[in-house]
Amino acid sequence: MSAKKKTPVAATAKSKAKPKPKPKAAPAKVEAVVETKKKKSIRPRAPARPPEPEAEAEAEHEHEHEHEHEHEHEHEHANEHDDANVAEEIRALEERLDRLIVEAGGKGEEEAPPSRSLSPSSRDGGDEQGTVFDTARELLSTDFYLRRWGRLGMRNRSEEVDDFGYDPVYDTRVRPVFDFLFRRWFRVVCDGIDRVPSTGRCLLVANHSGTVPYDGVMLKMAMLREHPSKRDVRWLAEDFVFHFPFLGSFTNRIGAVRACQENAERLLRQESLVAVFPEGTKGIGKLFRDRYKLQRFGRGGFVKLALRTRTPIVPVAIVGGEETNPLLFRLEAFSKLLGVPYVPITATFPALGPLGLLPAPTKWHIRFGEPISTEEYSAEAEGDELLVGRLSERVRTSIQGMLDETLSKRESVFFG
Amino acid sequence: MASDSTLTKPRTRPLRPGAAPRAPGAVVALTGASSFLGANLIGLLEEDDAIGRVVAIDAKAPSTAGKKTRVYEVDLAEPGSEARLAEIFAAEGATTLVHLAFLGSPTPATAWVHELESVGTMHALVAARQAGIRKLILRSQTILYGAHPTNPNFLTEAHPLRASRDEPFFADKIEAEAEAARFAERTPGATVTILRTATVMGPTVKSFVTKYLSRRVVPTMMGFDPLLQFVHEVDAIAAFKLAVDRDIPGTFNIVGDGVLPLSTVIKLAGRIALPIPHPIAETLTQLGWMAQLVEAPPSFVPYLRFLCVADGARARDVMGFRPAYTSREALLDFVSAQRLRDVKLLVESG
Repeated sequence: MSAKKKTPVAATAKSKAKPKPKPKAAPAKVEAVVETKKKKSIRPRAPARPPEPEAEAEAEHEHEHEHEHEHEHEHEHANEHDDANVAEEIRALEERLDRLIVEAGGKGEEEAPPSRSLSPSSRDGGDEQGTVFDTARELLSTDFYLRRWGRLGMRNRSEEVDDFGYDPVYDTRVRPVFDFLFRRWFRVVCDGIDRVPSTGRCLLVANHSGTVPYDGVMLKMAMLREHPSKRDVRWLAEDFVFHFPFLGSFTNRIGAVRACQENAERLLRQESLVAVFPEGTKGIGKLFRDRYKLQRFGRGGFVKLALRTRTPIVPVAIVGGEETNPLLFRLEAFSKLLGVPYVPITATFPALGPLGLLPAPTKWHIRFGEPISTEEYSAEAEGDELLVGRLSERVRTSIQGMLDETLSKRESVFFG
Repeated sequence: MASDSTLTKPRTRPLRPGAAPRAPGAVVALTGASSFLGANLIGLLEEDDAIGRVVAIDAKAPSTAGKKTRVYEVDLAEPGSEARLAEIFAAEGATTLVHLAFLGSPTPATAWVHELESVGTMHALVAARQAGIRKLILRSQTILYGAHPTNPNFLTEAHPLRASRDEPFFADKIEAEAEAARFAERTPGATVTILRTATVMGPTVKSFVTKYLSRRVVPTMMGFDPLLQFVHEVDAIAAFKLAVDRDIPGTFNIVGDGVLPLSTVIKLAGRIALPIPHPIAETLTQLGWMAQLVEAPPSFVPYLRFLCVADGARARDVMGFRPAYTSREALLDFVSAQRLRDVKLLVESG
């Protein structure tokens, strides 16, 4: 009877164990092995889609359950030779694999993973020298870094970026800084923000200011903090910002996109809220004496874009940005070398070094104008130079009007 | 090699034009049959009943050749290859040419590469026209768009190929594309499909990118974190199969969904990034390339700074190509396989 009972169980246990050996000591480490094995068996014929992240997590849970079952089986049939052999073999293999993975870092002759060898020595040693030595050893072992910054550690952190490089997780991590800038430093006041539609594509057209442009980020924060829909703003950044070392990838991860027609059109077709600064580099590089005087609006590219994609335009006036880093002089001598259009000379930069680029705590006002609809124009209107020019001028005067009005009401640069 | 010859038909079989039995179904000729894509594509074509015969052409025989495949050892870089190819195409009655004879990784032997890729493509296409082949499928790469600060986030097929012409790896492939366009122009009723694949990633593919990501320390550009895009090897092969099965003229970007920042790619691969200031990167790369310490010449440095990501919408809408793996999944698949190989290497080395 016992033989009858045992054989099928043994067979199932075997069949279960053989194709995908379950990791015991370090499930995450051998997971990769299991994955590839599964995939390889499928590959030649039909490319199977690997499990989605959630599905993967579920699968891992299942693995754990199976684990327990296996343990039970092992207890039940401890006397089974085959069974025990297989389990033993797997365990030996896993231990070997673990050791190899640990050693892979270049720590050649270590017998066991440092985490295991650590605890006894620190217990019986007790003296301070031993602890320091152990800590140092742990820090020097590659396993420590693998756990913390290696692939295994990183896999759990979401590093998903969207098509344009926006990293929502990273954005939430740095948001407190911008929250502080928005609420405490610039004390931004928004006016008429409900003119921005809650859904659907929309183009915000704003004036550009400040030697270091904070206006894109502040517009984004305004929409997140003040607008009922908490919509995300994608703003278009100038090439030199976008490709400046560190700054470029940083602004990209928090939502900026390189300014070009293709990108803007793609974003609008995804029904996003896009902010553009048609003044471009000329806007940032305004000298202090020219503050709040709108520069030329290029060739009206943003109007063509709006006409092509049937997007409503909301003019936006940002007051306060010009005084954050008052630009006294543009040095164009080293611009090519540094990859910037000019080297700014402000009251504090370069005199105070990088610190000199910190923004002054000016009081900011962001005003949103009446939306300009492009619905009534046909798709061919894009080619109508006169119409493009007229609309462009209309947006420009609207922004300039709002700027002048806000400036005339403003009593102090720092307190509004 | 002996087992190889039992697998395939005799390679140096004397050609008797017109004597080859007209097999039912299409006759697909492949150049670069031993390349990664070629060898795998032969495997797929072997299994397809709609394909009558596969004519594999390469300097060395592919290992995947089966019953349907006839292997001819022709070196496209040799001057006489044109006539020989025309002869083979005519004798076999080839209806489709899949031109895959391109190198996957840059090499210092630039003169030979020029002969193979640029001149070789010309030879193959002239032979194809002579033999009356009406359907051409050419392998190209999205890397040819070039990494430029002025690139939009997604490059469409209409975007000009702006990779540096000073680099033979790019220049020869761009010339090959131009050659294909000329073929389309001059051959009435021709169906020319150009598939521009993103970096092919997967457990078995090998290229300079997989080598780059297999380093313990991976050099990057300090302060730059461009978005990268991959296509899984299975998807890339499937795209070529799709192009063989259907007549879809045009140029298509074959890419996986999604993009990954280079920093994430390196983290997922479990490697350590070594940031290098970009002003000195080209010089360092030049030195490394001359000493064969790095995988690519300096003209590849911009790809570590700027975007070169293609839009796969056209392949999806017109061609009906749906990648099964995203860029991330393709990379993870490569990484898991690479990890196993690393462990195996450790076991073997003691």
